[in-house]
Amino acid sequence: MEQKLRQEAKALLEQNKVDWIIGFEPGSLKFTATPLITRDKNDTERLIINPFIVNNLADFLTGIKGRVGIVAKGCDSRSIISLIQDNKIVREDVVILAVPCPGLIDLVKIERLAGKDRDELDDISRDGDKVTVTVDGQKKEFAINQTLFDHCLACELPTPQEYDILLGEPGPPAPELEVSGQNIAKLKEALPAERWEFWQNEFSRCIRCYACRNACPACFCQRCFVEETEPQWVMPVPRWQDNLIFQIIRNIHVAGRCTDCGECERVCPVNIPLRSLAREMYGIVDELFSFKSGMDKEALPLMAHYEQEEAEDLFK
Amino acid sequence: MADKKVGKKDIAGLLEQWSQQFAVFAPSKESGVAAMAEWDGKDISFLDWYRNTVVPPKAIFLPPMEELFRFQKGKEGYNIEPPPKDKHKRLIFGVRPCDARAMAILDMTFEQALEDPYYLSRRKSAILVGLGCTNPCESCFCTSMGTSPTDQTNVDLMLIDIGDDFLIEEVTAKGKELIAKTSGLKGATKEDEAKAKQAKETAYNKVTRKLDTEGIKDRLLASFDDEEFWEKTAAKCISCGICTLLCPTCYCFDINDEMVKQEGTRFRSWDSCGFPNYTKMPMENPRQEKWRRVRQKVCHKYEFYPMTFNVIACTGCGRCIRLCPVNWDITQVIESVPARTEAKK
Ligand code: SF4
Ligand code: SF4
Ligand code: SF4
Ligand code: SF4
Ligand code: SF4
Repeated sequence: MEQKLRQEAKALLEQNKVDWIIGFEPGSLKFTATPLITRDKNDTERLIINPFIVNNLADFLTGIKGRVGIVAKGCDSRSIISLIQDNKIVREDVVILAVPCPGLIDLVKIERLAGKDRDELDDISRDGDKVTVTVDGQKKEFAINQTLFDHCLACELPTPQEYDILLGEPGPPAPELEVSGQNIAKLKEALPAERWEFWQNEFSRCIRCYACRNACPACFCQRCFVEETEPQWVMPVPRWQDNLIFQIIRNIHVAGRCTDCGECERVCPVNIPLRSLAREMYGIVDELFSFKSGMDKEALPLMAHYEQEEAEDLFK
Repeated sequence: MADKKVGKKDIAGLLEQWSQQFAVFAPSKESGVAAMAEWDGKDISFLDWYRNTVVPPKAIFLPPMEELFRFQKGKEGYNIEPPPKDKHKRLIFGVRPCDARAMAILDMTFEQALEDPYYLSRRKSAILVGLGCTNPCESCFCTSMGTSPTDQTNVDLMLIDIGDDFLIEEVTAKGKELIAKTSGLKGATKEDEAKAKQAKETAYNKVTRKLDTEGIKDRLLASFDDEEFWEKTAAKCISCGICTLLCPTCYCFDINDEMVKQEGTRFRSWDSCGFPNYTKMPMENPRQEKWRRVRQKVCHKYEFYPMTFNVIACTGCGRCIRLCPVNWDITQVIESVPARTEAKK
């Protein structure tokens, strides 16, 4: 798969079909990959595909000028489609290099299972439904559904539907909805007061780094409400109340755009379970409007259009 | 005077004793993230961690947010109500050498450059008790940045892991005084001291990430206008605040007033030069483009700080590498800054 990717990416640049390639190259720490954004065909030699290509690369599309060849897992492809739906990018300007994705390994889960820090692990490898972690020469085996990111366990589209070049064979979706939704289910069982207390605690440690917003492909506003001063919707001071309001408004703003890619939660440096909010909103949108973002590029963006009947309903 | 030592299992007792006199802070995950927190009277599980806290100890002295003062609008103008005097005497236990050095670097800004009463009132009365690292992480590069996993330079007391005990190095007068008043410590033997020496060497050699900072100030100066280099360097950065807000040497802050009717509060909170709004002015933003902001971050640490204080404002703690959502790695960037001749073209 990697060889094919490198060839295709190189050819795209050589034949001047794209100005940029966005993909992944090896990261500087164990078990990491890092985004590679380049116009240099020689760099394509470094492109990789492995279970640690965690970033949603669609996030870079709105900030780049020119035509882009982009490596896309299923979730990335949905974000790309969502951006097309919202008219933020044009289909013709992207060449989608589709990666059939078997799910990404969540190092936080691995650390918990192995009882060790990622620094202490010698190796993590995947073979089908098993993930093998090697620590001090000892091998430990775990079931795949214990080790993947929650959003991967809920993935509805592991292989992009919309693509230009397909790298490898599409695999079946392996949803483990129950496992992936455990945190949310627990929260829903709790009493409202308990839930309130839970989120109050969680947002007390938010430092307002805005990584959740900046890593989110659906957060593409050029001026975010959080930075408005007249009126000032929230204080830029990291008080839990303001932090919570920030995140709630953000969730409302990406409703109908969020594809449950899980990036917000993954990047949060203080471990706030942001996907619980995002995923819940995703479910609500589906329930109310039978709409899933990023599935169909022809579909009109949910929150940016209305039907005649809706308007009549609203203004009668 | 010979060094003292304390048994690992006696650490809780020691902290208990110090709690009588100080507000004791220690690494904790209780809040949901590894940070320095007021010690709860029992948890010493941090002795088994070897990764540094996610939130650096600077947060105790320069908190993510604080009230500077309150004010009321009266008939004759504003009435200012200063915050209550900070009477806490803090003891910060388990500070890693990289973060201790970072505190010394922050002092340069908050004490030498100008005197910040909020920072200094907390800082001056505090005691730092260092904890030597035994297992540096992959992202640690302290040994290239003027410190090391067991460096005692910037703390009052330093603890070195010698197996069942910690050897206590008494560094400052403040530290010595505290030890003199502390009971239950054992005297260290020659053998213990030999063990400590060995432990230091072992830890030092375990830091594998190296960074050559030779001539970096001049290389950055020469590359300042190398737009192509900076654009390439900044390409994957998403302009979040992680690497700056959580850097132990970053100190930028924002000031905001909140006013309801006739009363208000002035807040100070962490800010980051990575945010586009940081330099936004009514007509102009000199760092609108991302590459200019990334350049600012790198140059502030590796060029401007050395120019002002003769020290690089990076201690190799590795947080920015480990926590960055895109694995933007400062050591790779510093290494790739073109040499003078190349930059000139
Ligand atoms: S809100 Fe979170 S899960 Fe939804 S698209 Fe944005 S980053 Fe992905
Ligand atoms: S990533 Fe986490 S800490 Fe940063 S702003 Fe978002 S919720 Fe807050
Ligand atoms: S950088 Fe050095 S001092 Fe800091 S945690 Fe790592 S080994 Fe310890
Ligand atoms: S943490 Fe990484 S992505 Fe965020 S501003 Fe720093 S370098 Fe950029
Ligand atoms: S720049 Fe990075 S490695 Fe250096 S002190 Fe700051 S967070 Fe640590």
